[in-house]
Amino acid sequence: MPQQLEVVQRLTAHKGKVWSASWHPSGKMFASCGEDKTIRIWSQDKNDWVMQTVLSDGHSRTIRDVAFSNCGMFLASTSFDATISIWDKKGNEFECNSTLEGHENEVKSVAWSVTGNFLATCSRDKSVWVWDIGANCEEFDCAAVLNAHTQDVKKVIWHPHLDILVSASYDNSIKMYKEDSVDNDWICTNTLQSHTSTVWSISFDKTGNRLISCSDDNTLKVWQKYDVNNEEGIVTPDNEPTWKCVCTLSGYHDRSIYDVSWCKLTGLIATACGDDNIRIFKETESSNKKNEPTFELETKILAHKQDVNCVKWNPVIPGLLISTSDDSDIKLWKFNVKK
Amino acid sequence: MSGFSGALQLTNLDDFITPSQECIKPVEIKKSKTGSKITIQEDGTYFESNNMGTQKLEKVEITLADCLACSGCITSAEGVLITQQSQEEVLRVLKENSKAKEENDENNIKIIVFTISQQSLLSLAKKFNLNPEQATKHLSGYLKLLGGDYVLDTRIADDLALLESREEFLRRYRDQKSFKLPMLASSCPGWVCYAEKTHGDLLIPYISTTRSPQQIMGVLVKQFLAQKLNVSAEKIYHITVMPCYDKKLEASREDFFNDVIESRDVDCVITSIEIEQMLASEGKILSEFEEKTFDWPWTCSQPETFVWSHESSGSGGYSDYIFKYAAKVLFNENVTQLNYKNLRNPDFREVILEKDGAVVLRFAIANGFRNIQNLVQKLKRGKSSYHYVEVMACPSGCLNGGAQIRPESNQPIRELTEELIKMYQNLPQAEPENENVKIIYDEFLGGNDSDKVQQLLHTSYHAVEKMSTALNIKW
Repeated sequence: MPQQLEVVQRLTAHKGKVWSASWHPSGKMFASCGEDKTIRIWSQDKNDWVMQTVLSDGHSRTIRDVAFSNCGMFLASTSFDATISIWDKKGNEFECNSTLEGHENEVKSVAWSVTGNFLATCSRDKSVWVWDIGANCEEFDCAAVLNAHTQDVKKVIWHPHLDILVSASYDNSIKMYKEDSVDNDWICTNTLQSHTSTVWSISFDKTGNRLISCSDDNTLKVWQKYDVNNEEGIVTPDNEPTWKCVCTLSGYHDRSIYDVSWCKLTGLIATACGDDNIRIFKETESSNKKNEPTFELETKILAHKQDVNCVKWNPVIPGLLISTSDDSDIKLWKFNVKK
Repeated sequence: MSGFSGALQLTNLDDFITPSQECIKPVEIKKSKTGSKITIQEDGTYFESNNMGTQKLEKVEITLADCLACSGCITSAEGVLITQQSQEEVLRVLKENSKAKEENDENNIKIIVFTISQQSLLSLAKKFNLNPEQATKHLSGYLKLLGGDYVLDTRIADDLALLESREEFLRRYRDQKSFKLPMLASSCPGWVCYAEKTHGDLLIPYISTTRSPQQIMGVLVKQFLAQKLNVSAEKIYHITVMPCYDKKLEASREDFFNDVIESRDVDCVITSIEIEQMLASEGKILSEFEEKTFDWPWTCSQPETFVWSHESSGSGGYSDYIFKYAAKVLFNENVTQLNYKNLRNPDFREVILEKDGAVVLRFAIANGFRNIQNLVQKLKRGKSSYHYVEVMACPSGCLNGGAQIRPESNQPIRELTEELIKMYQNLPQAEPENENVKIIYDEFLGGNDSDKVQQLLHTSYHAVEKMSTALNIKW
């Protein structure tokens, strides 16, 4: 019987840890980055993924994260050198046209808002920055510096449809932010607390009404949004929707969980774990999916020789997963639905 | 939450640690001879014993000045501040002083001087539902009851700061070979501290050397007032009441410690919110205290009132005032109304003067940390076309200082700030060029261009070198 999660291809170009990867919105290209201070662009040539370009002059230290914009025209990279680089995609070439400075030290994560209006970054300096994107991504103004977290901020992501920003931190909490229209400043609207250690990563489902988080406390948590005047009668302070943890998946991981990806196409959840495994979870039928959802482990596979740092579902091709690891490998996986 | 402004809340500037936990400041310790033993007593004290006998070891103390000179972090300083610059410290000093007075202990009796900022006055007036004029009187009554010998407003220092800033601007404008424009305001210590610690070499040449009103008051109190009262400076204990915590850092700068007279220009800074707490701890409200007038020890002509506004911005009116003056002197234009245009957000706005279709003056007000960032990036890329920028670390400027009294119940802070801005704009307008200021220049400073003016009304800044330590990397 074939494995449920099958290796499609192993890519070995990076030297040292591969920290992160980001799919191009077309699903036909991705970027990877790592300790070797390079960004590598990969695309599909017939059935094989091949390296197309190496961008090696953007940063002076480890590159921690990369992200393609939703329009597919730009790539952002963040580095321990405290800067963010913005690369313009011109055909098959990439050109660094802006460097964003302001963070005090290591920049950990970067994300483009789906509307194309904003870029968010976060850093060990405990702050989350929102950058206002000018026309053609030529100018980036600082729209807000958010000091809501008390520790190192590990991850920023945007809501799949709205300009709502979410961050996860070493202070064990998740925070949400939105723009205040009166003075265009950003305010923290929600603090999600339940994890007992660092929250490493977060991922929305396709509706944006649910969020999953993964932590150094070895658990996954699923959070549900409750709108103002919700039928469950859940209190919503300050006339803002509130978020409640409706499911904790514990006992599946024995080590820190570094990344989680909630597939917008299939609803599958993939995790990257410090025990070198990738796990795939699927939501099971239940009578009360909103308030008491249940999930089961579909499969678990020893995926790498060291920590798995990043997992991302392809945005177009169902079941295609990418993973990156400390063992310097990038792997592409195909998830086969059980017959 | 930290009380510091957003600019100081970035990592190294806002670690909530006590120095003992993570402080990386190397401290000089006298080396003991080898062959000695260190023992720890039950109470946690350390004793060193060697063939010379046994000796108690002193704890290493990190002072605020150490913190300011170190790029490791600032506000481990926060813990340090609490012991050195706080209401407790003020109350302790006042108590000791009244004891010295009771015992007729002439050597230890100090003259206690309070200086109250306009922003704190308005914050207290709002909180206790008084008009600004009444608030000054009740506050004066309260502080005098506590043991204050003089209660002063900042008017004279505000005037001097504006006059010095406008002259400095003209010097810089006329000699752009030696000076780079824009000139950036220097009265916000959060901004100055951020500039020194993160972009020292880039930003310091732009920052106005004019001292902030707090530090000008410091000089006037410790030198001019001391001279008038015929006492030495260390006889005076000078407390300021300010709208922001960052002012505590400013008062602690080495630059404002006078070696000759061995005295700090401002001994202790407390804030609006701390006055509120002091009153609350006694279960009192401000209006309970007898009305007493503020003091005016500077000249014979005491002003009619002690609350004033300087132009339209509650941060001191720098941009407005310098703009009008420069328009008049450089371009012979009488500007009465300034029309600021909002840029990306209402806290970054600019005003221009056009002459024959060309922009000859471009001023801006940039409040809040995000706008400081945008300004810094513009300067870094050489894309700034400003001649002057009034930079303040708090959104909406000093009336919204980090240590202003919080709103009642659920009122948003922004609304409260709006009300304070309205109150400020309704105050009588101060004209900085006046008889009293002239007397200070003539009698105390030895003229408008004297060395003493440069020495006492100006200061300098110091880039803090970044420590490159790889010890702290966390993935």
